[in-house]
Amino acid sequence: MNSKIQSEIKELVEQQVISEGIASKIEAYYQSKKDNAPNRLFTVFGVLGALLVGLGIILILAHNWDDFSRSMKTFFAFFPLVIGHGFVGFSILKNKTKVWKEASGTFLFFAVGSSMSLISQIYNIPGSVSSFLLTWILLCAPLIYLLKSHMLAILHILFMTYYATDYGYSFLSSSNTPWFYILLLALAVPYCLQLLKNNIDANITSIFNWLLPLSLIIVLGTFIVKIGEFGVLMYVCLFGLFYNIGKMPLFDNRKLRRNGYLILGSLGTIYMLIITSFDWLWKDRIKNTLDINSQEFYVSLVLFLMAFGVLVYSYSKSWIKRYNLSHYIFVIFSVIFFIGFGNKFIPLTIINLLILIIALITIKIGADKFHFGILNYGLLIIAILIVCRFFDTDMSFVLRGLLFVGFGLGFFLANYLMLKKQKERKLNVKN
Amino acid sequence: MKSLYIFIIFLIVAAAQLFVPAQMILNREDVLKTGMVFKFKTRPIDPEDPFRGKYISLGFEATSYNTMDSIWERNQKVYAYLDIDSLGFAKIDKVSRELLIDDDKDFLEVKVDRYDNYSNKLNIEYPFNRYYMEETKAYDAEVAVRENLRDSVLTNVYALVHIKNGVSVLKDVIINDMSIKDYVKRELESN
Repeated sequence: MNSKIQSEIKELVEQQVISEGIASKIEAYYQSKKDNAPNRLFTVFGVLGALLVGLGIILILAHNWDDFSRSMKTFFAFFPLVIGHGFVGFSILKNKTKVWKEASGTFLFFAVGSSMSLISQIYNIPGSVSSFLLTWILLCAPLIYLLKSHMLAILHILFMTYYATDYGYSFLSSSNTPWFYILLLALAVPYCLQLLKNNIDANITSIFNWLLPLSLIIVLGTFIVKIGEFGVLMYVCLFGLFYNIGKMPLFDNRKLRRNGYLILGSLGTIYMLIITSFDWLWKDRIKNTLDINSQEFYVSLVLFLMAFGVLVYSYSKSWIKRYNLSHYIFVIFSVIFFIGFGNKFIPLTIINLLILIIALITIKIGADKFHFGILNYGLLIIAILIVCRFFDTDMSFVLRGLLFVGFGLGFFLANYLMLKKQKERKLNVKN
Repeated sequence: MKSLYIFIIFLIVAAAQLFVPAQMILNREDVLKTGMVFKFKTRPIDPEDPFRGKYISLGFEATSYNTMDSIWERNQKVYAYLDIDSLGFAKIDKVSRELLIDDDKDFLEVKVDRYDNYSNKLNIEYPFNRYYMEETKAYDAEVAVRENLRDSVLTNVYALVHIKNGVSVLKDVIINDMSIKDYVKRELESN
């Protein structure tokens, strides 16, 4: 048991807050919880070991041993694979512990990769890294579910992101769209949902809550082929989707650091609003007519509908606090984007107002919840907005200086007032 | 009982994991055994792949085809029909968007690189542009070729490629009638 809990219990008994009986009951509860939990450290080291051995094999084979004959190389291509199959088969058949399944699965994942890469070397098979990765990931995807392995799911997400970026982002040739990424994503999502359903408070679930949205943010850019303006809309909708997912009670009622959707959604939305508060997007938007029959439009539409679906669902469940504008940013932005207004000033004014309102709401939420992080996040948004406007506004240096000083004082005052309030509240609770 | 079912599904997955590399081998072995052999004049350089290690990247001489047809898309899949020139090296006989049933020449599936409107030349990319080498040798191979080129002509550096039914396997890269692996080894030993 945690020594901190033990000392707390001791103190509570001494202070006569709880009785000896209750104390021993609490102790027994924590003891039983500990007995049921698998040895986490052992799992971590098991997986780490398998990961290093697997990667090591790939590197050793990548040396391209010229002195070995073709048949010898072929033998080495299959050797780690068969060993991996042996371990995984054994752990399934004997229903071995989590450690066995995680470690053997991780080893097999790399054995599949090393086998394919060695054969590519023997026969000088060209193929890009992305096509190689795709075959590799698809061959190993069923193992995630067969072994219920967290590590394999993490590797799946990491490698599918690698695949999509390698395939989609290119400097020289025309860009390709990694459509297979959607299939790979669809293979990973049920696992994450299962974790949310059965293991919501586990640390591993919060890792997935960060990994999955991060992967999507990295990859979404590859879906932009020609029309950059739609790229902005795509990202606003994606961040809107994340924000609204993150605000569902399932995520929102937990610690903020576990809620990757909310943090990424909020930061992303603010980032997109800040960069569209400059006039480049709206200048382009007025100049060019948008091609509705384009890949970018359809991707934006799908993302919009998904975000809108989550929004309507949340609304029907009355999860949404009406004054929080952040939920609807993607809707408002989409409307402004399509209307275009024929001049840049109206959209720019609306975007700047939106940022300001979000900042004020964030400050209010921070103050209501006595959360310094949220309060300062709101203040920071206003600070960034002011700094950005300095770049495209003609303002005297004195005025700019005064604004900065004023704002700095505001930062200090807001924090000071809240600290004072919090102290008063603590005093009231004590009395 | 449940673990037995999972085990059976695992056996299928394992079979697929074995089948894919095995299939890669069998296809190539067939081309190596029964395919037609072509020599492509080449010039190697030395990049690397994160998983598969060092390889030399091959640039080829016979990559352009004169045609007035100018509607080609980059990376479009086309078929290159091959012939052999007077010196015994491969050259492109024609490039077609479809398979030509009545043409008995050996062909390859290749990608369009670009079409040059001034010279009316269509440039293609061959699918065999990588030759894997031991990591210590790949760079030396590039140097060897560069130095070799300085005092002689390109004719003595070529890739040996087996081709059958549009599929190709790059078997070796030859410098002065010697495999590039042996050539580099000899150069390293003599230095």
